[in-house]
Amino acid sequence: MTGKSGAAQTVAAVLTGAIGIVFLLPLVFTILVSIRPENEPVTQGSIFFGSEITLSLYQHALNIAPWGLHYLNSIIFVGGTLLVQLFTVTCAAYAFARLRFWGRNLLLLVILLQLMIPSGVLLVQNFRMINLLGLFDTRLALMLPYWGSAFGMLLLRQAFREVPIELDEAARIDGANLLQVIRHVYVVNAIPAYVAFALVSLSSHWNEFLWPFIITRSEAIRPLTVGLNKLIKTTDQGAFYGQLMAGTIIVITPLVILFLLFQRQFVESFARSGIR
Amino acid sequence: MIAKVWRARLIARLLPYLLIAPTFVLVLMFTVLPAFNTVNDSFYKPARGLNAAGKSPQFVHLQNFVDILDDSHYMGQRFLRSFRNTLIFALATVFVAVPLGLLLALLLNRPQRLLGIWRFAVFYPALLPLIGAASIWSFIFSDSIGLANAVLRSFGHPGLNWLGDRNLVLLSVIIVNIWKQAGYFMIFFLAGLQNIARELYEAAALDGADRFQQFMGLTLPLLRRTLLFVSVISFTFAFQTVEQLQALGEGGPADSANLLLYLIFQNIAERRNWGYVNAMTLVLIAVVLVFTLGNFLLFERSESER
Repeated sequence: MTGKSGAAQTVAAVLTGAIGIVFLLPLVFTILVSIRPENEPVTQGSIFFGSEITLSLYQHALNIAPWGLHYLNSIIFVGGTLLVQLFTVTCAAYAFARLRFWGRNLLLLVILLQLMIPSGVLLVQNFRMINLLGLFDTRLALMLPYWGSAFGMLLLRQAFREVPIELDEAARIDGANLLQVIRHVYVVNAIPAYVAFALVSLSSHWNEFLWPFIITRSEAIRPLTVGLNKLIKTTDQGAFYGQLMAGTIIVITPLVILFLLFQRQFVESFARSGIR
Repeated sequence: MIAKVWRARLIARLLPYLLIAPTFVLVLMFTVLPAFNTVNDSFYKPARGLNAAGKSPQFVHLQNFVDILDDSHYMGQRFLRSFRNTLIFALATVFVAVPLGLLLALLLNRPQRLLGIWRFAVFYPALLPLIGAASIWSFIFSDSIGLANAVLRSFGHPGLNWLGDRNLVLLSVIIVNIWKQAGYFMIFFLAGLQNIARELYEAAALDGADRFQQFMGLTLPLLRRTLLFVSVISFTFAFQTVEQLQALGEGGPADSANLLLYLIFQNIAERRNWGYVNAMTLVLIAVVLVFTLGNFLLFERSESER
């Protein structure tokens, strides 16, 4: 190593540390504020910890919104969405990967429209569609538009195509029916693609706000993000920020834990989600 | 026997259609039909409300579009302001968050101490719900007790009204978005960097190229496609990421920081202006469609080139 590149290394290390710390600050302060006593903002007293470490703000946040219920609703929403998606996506991906049929390319093109017109921008007409179906304010309304996923279909079609056709043929000679072939030949060989799709699906729906907010009215079925929104709307004064930070921690913790457990898979699956 | 063969054949014929039916029908119901209805409904002014009983919507030709493009019309003011903000927001994302993502990828693509922590530090914002990220920042930006002003005051500055000053709110929203997205864009560049063969750098180093020359002459040209791809998706994503406004000033004051999709959302939530909402949605679809279609064709072409 020459002196010059040694200096470059140092600059890079300092820059990395500086950006890293700036990026971490919001999370660190959120945590610090959430464990302070009420009415003791960070600008008062020690900047790191308050006069004591307490969970009283979490208690207050719990009183404003029924977080247990919202957790359950979020889990039902993302879980129910993913389960049905796995089924529809597998079927469609198999057909487009391995079967020849009339109109194949045209049908594929129609499905790919979903990637070009993201459902997020179709809020008003999807709202109308849900109303026409009489599903307003139901759990089904939350999930239904996502049950067909062009992104997942593409991801799995690619994975299925890489499965050697000989495996398929061998299984059929052994007398396996279609369902068995799909399950034991294709699905088991496409697990990484399934993991990638599952992580993208789970995290994007866990984080979703606009659609659940518009399509539901009852607290009983609304997910966490809508509960957090309620906390935001009751937060006007400085004294309430602690509660909001506690509520935010309540909402984001599961995803952060999931990320820490599946860090590599998360990064890989997000890298594939660009075509979403 | 013959009937059995026929039945098996029929099932084999129908099978592909049965397999794609659920996905296809859902795409028809929640993408294709809504897109057509957006076009259709943008030519109408509903009687009142969503399904006003007994009254039929009134066909108004292009009046909805004339209104939303009219600077003296109340909806036109809102739309034009929000559209302008959305463009600024999107361009800021492309020109700041994307290069920052590239920088982060370059910095974090080498073995180093604390690598895991730094990667977490820049990537976790991408995982958070937008509305949660925004609520964190609403505290940082809060007037009297926020971190941003605490820093400013420590330098003797009186502090800024980040979420109340009409000249500042959009900037605050942009800052949050850069923090949120840079780590997400980084992973595309990391993937791109890992595809560049090590030998190329060794050869360049042998030829006496320093790090900067290696970057300009080798890394950047080889990442060109990734750079283009990330720039386009960041631009289109910017038109779809608006939930943070819920905690960052709600597009105000006076729409000074409103974004197009959020304006649409506000009108749906208030059950108002259906004709305008459809006209605005059509504009939004058109912008997003042009860029995603362009990206898709580009991406497909590069796939088939390989």
